Amino acid sequence: MNCIVCIKQVPSTNEVNLDPITKTIIRDGRQSVTNPYDTFALETAVQLKERCGGTVSVLSMGIPATERLLRDAVSRGADRGLLLTDRAFAGADTLATSYTLSLGVRRLGDFDLILCGKMAIDGDTAQIGPELAAHLGIPHVTDVLAITEVGGASVTVETAWQGGVRQVKVALPALLTVQKDVNQPRMPSIAGVKRGLEAPVEVLGAEAVQADAKRIGLTGSPTQVVRTEAPQRDSTAVYIEGDASQQAHKLAELIAGLTEGARA
Amino acid sequence: MKQTPSGFRPMGEEYAAYLRDESRTTGHAETISFPTTEQEIVEAVNACRESGSRLTVQGGRTGLAAAAVPFGGHILNLSRMDKVLGMGQTADGFTLTVQPGAVLSELRKKLAAKKFDVTGWSDASKDALGAFMKSGVWFFPPDPTEASATIGGMTACNASGARTHGYGPTRGYVTALRVVLPSGETLALRRGQVFAAGRHLTLTTEQGTTLELDLPTFTMPKTKNASGYYIEDNMDAIDLFIGSDGTLGVFSQMELRLLPMAPQVWGVTCFLPTVDDALTFTSLVRGMKLGEVSMEYFDGNALDILRRQKAEKTAFAALPTIPETAGAAIYVELHCQTEQEAAEKLFAVGDALEQAGGDREVTWVARTESDLDKLMFFRHAVPESVNMMIDERKKTAPSITKLGSDMAVPDDRLFDVMALYRRTLKEEALESATWGHIGENHVHVNVLPRSEADYARGKALFVRWAEAVTEMGGAVSAEHGVGKLKASFLTVMYGQAHIDEMAALKYTLDPQGLLGAGNLFAAREGGRS
Repeated sequence: MNCIVCIKQVPSTNEVNLDPITKTIIRDGRQSVTNPYDTFALETAVQLKERCGGTVSVLSMGIPATERLLRDAVSRGADRGLLLTDRAFAGADTLATSYTLSLGVRRLGDFDLILCGKMAIDGDTAQIGPELAAHLGIPHVTDVLAITEVGGASVTVETAWQGGVRQVKVALPALLTVQKDVNQPRMPSIAGVKRGLEAPVEVLGAEAVQADAKRIGLTGSPTQVVRTEAPQRDSTAVYIEGDASQQAHKLAELIAGLTEGARA
Repeated sequence: MKQTPSGFRPMGEEYAAYLRDESRTTGHAETISFPTTEQEIVEAVNACRESGSRLTVQGGRTGLAAAAVPFGGHILNLSRMDKVLGMGQTADGFTLTVQPGAVLSELRKKLAAKKFDVTGWSDASKDALGAFMKSGVWFFPPDPTEASATIGGMTACNASGARTHGYGPTRGYVTALRVVLPSGETLALRRGQVFAAGRHLTLTTEQGTTLELDLPTFTMPKTKNASGYYIEDNMDAIDLFIGSDGTLGVFSQMELRLLPMAPQVWGVTCFLPTVDDALTFTSLVRGMKLGEVSMEYFDGNALDILRRQKAEKTAFAALPTIPETAGAAIYVELHCQTEQEAAEKLFAVGDALEQAGGDREVTWVARTESDLDKLMFFRHAVPESVNMMIDERKKTAPSITKLGSDMAVPDDRLFDVMALYRRTLKEEALESATWGHIGENHVHVNVLPRSEADYARGKALFVRWAEAVTEMGGAVSAEHGVGKLKASFLTVMYGQAHIDEMAALKYTLDPQGLLGAGNLFAAREGGRS
């Protein structure tokens, strides 16, 4: 079972900063982490390799610093990485990104299964997986909770579906997007970290993967994010003093103030 | 009590929680107040002195030696003095001025997010903040397990944590201190300004009173130490108050030194087949001089408790699966400037591990915030689980509590002290779990009594350990402070004559013995309890 896992570099969830002028997410590389959903996809692939043999390749399109995350994936059980990085890829929407990733998949060669996180925590679109499957002309299943059976030509999976669980058998090669918390992603070992640093990670630009210039980056993106705003949140603590009756009165006043504020 | 300040409230059921702390000791008190300014502290101290009422200072009540548990009188709870008052810029970094009730976890959040309420800040503070905003990541290194501790409480017991191995205890990060003395007068102490002459210290209060203090004549152990007053020749005056367990004065403000955070923070949990292998590993890593900031130990019993918790309780289901062959584990944390440096040091730890009988494939390396959080959850799950076990056992043996040791010995006595713990626990047939700061030869042996008889045997064993540790040149309390629970060990460690010297020093400042009555020494008769 040869698997390809797509991973995305996203800002660390605790430290998302928006540029006050451009309203775009500041990506300085250092704060970035692997999209948490993708870590469950990677663990799923590594467990499949341990169960059935084969290889795990990790694939990403991103800035050059993303190579660090591909090496991290190797330290957690993947065998090799491919990073697609080029200024021409910048500004890609999901259509251009999934097209670019499809070129990466072709470059990596024969595979049985592509695993993606259900979505990325920065864009929240959940479109990359299905679009990539469409580019490659293979079936896909989204929101996978578990792989229950692995056959020579198919896998059977459970997916979250309308508040219940649905069993789906899908012919290989196929693409799955996995839900979060479907497993406990492993930490690397000391030996794994060494393998990660020494692993083959191929870094290729648009030309090397013979990308159609009209289908990548901003040029290849029919959609654009016009603006992003950080939600305003406010919380304050108020100490209420006095005896029980005074405190109750004060509390009632506060609640009245809040409800009036909400009506206003 | 004459002229009771208006902020004094009689103790009622609603304040019952203030009679306890994390040591699970319950005390008693007549009144409680929650001052918000230094002036209110002064008024409370004056009122207690004039009426002869004992006075116990409280912060976050996370202490493990019952120093904040009142033995009668008044509770001065500083939790509402929790503001950050300003920032300073120094030649090598930044300082923060905080009130004593500032909570560590909140302070960390503010430092990480670089968000402070600057109401009332001076222009100089705002300028320093401006420079701070543009200047990388800074942190306050002391890291006690309980992040709801207050900075005042941490200063009062000179708190330590896992990273004390590399960064030292709280003491080194308190650069200035304001103290309200039992007389109601105030001291403003700044590190590097007032020193003892030999063993004599002269202090002048802000009100102009000169205090002549004879310092005790003992020599402190050359180990991690939080046992009694910090005393040495020509010492800095500020160090007398840091770690004084709420017995010499009430802290009303402190200035803290910040350090730049290393860009690479890597942690690794290593598993070893036996305790002896773990001790060998410790010696090997220490010998490599890697500059590791933490070395935290877990014995097989602690690992077994976590295995059971993971299997039985959903709250612990997220714990990583502990390898079956592991009979002990050690967590090592590295703070490095570059990824290459971190990798080289990590691989050196791997070499030590293989040499000690471990396997570098069977390790957990954390290089991301999320993985570091997992390993912290793992470390903190041990004491939490033990507390849960004891609470369960208290249902059948109500008078038992957890018995946790806090002793440290010099490096060359690590094997001896660990052998002593194991041999005597086996002789007494006591259940235990051991974890803690092996890098400083400072593990917490926790006796887990099932009955009152177990509890009594465990307590007796701790006295024997205190004697043996003293013999080895160690400290009976390395980080929790002595408080009320370990006062008898302090006598074992220093002998009655030196305890009397410490008490004489205290009574020079607090003639009625009202402040922190019962901490370090048996409470003096006379103070109204």
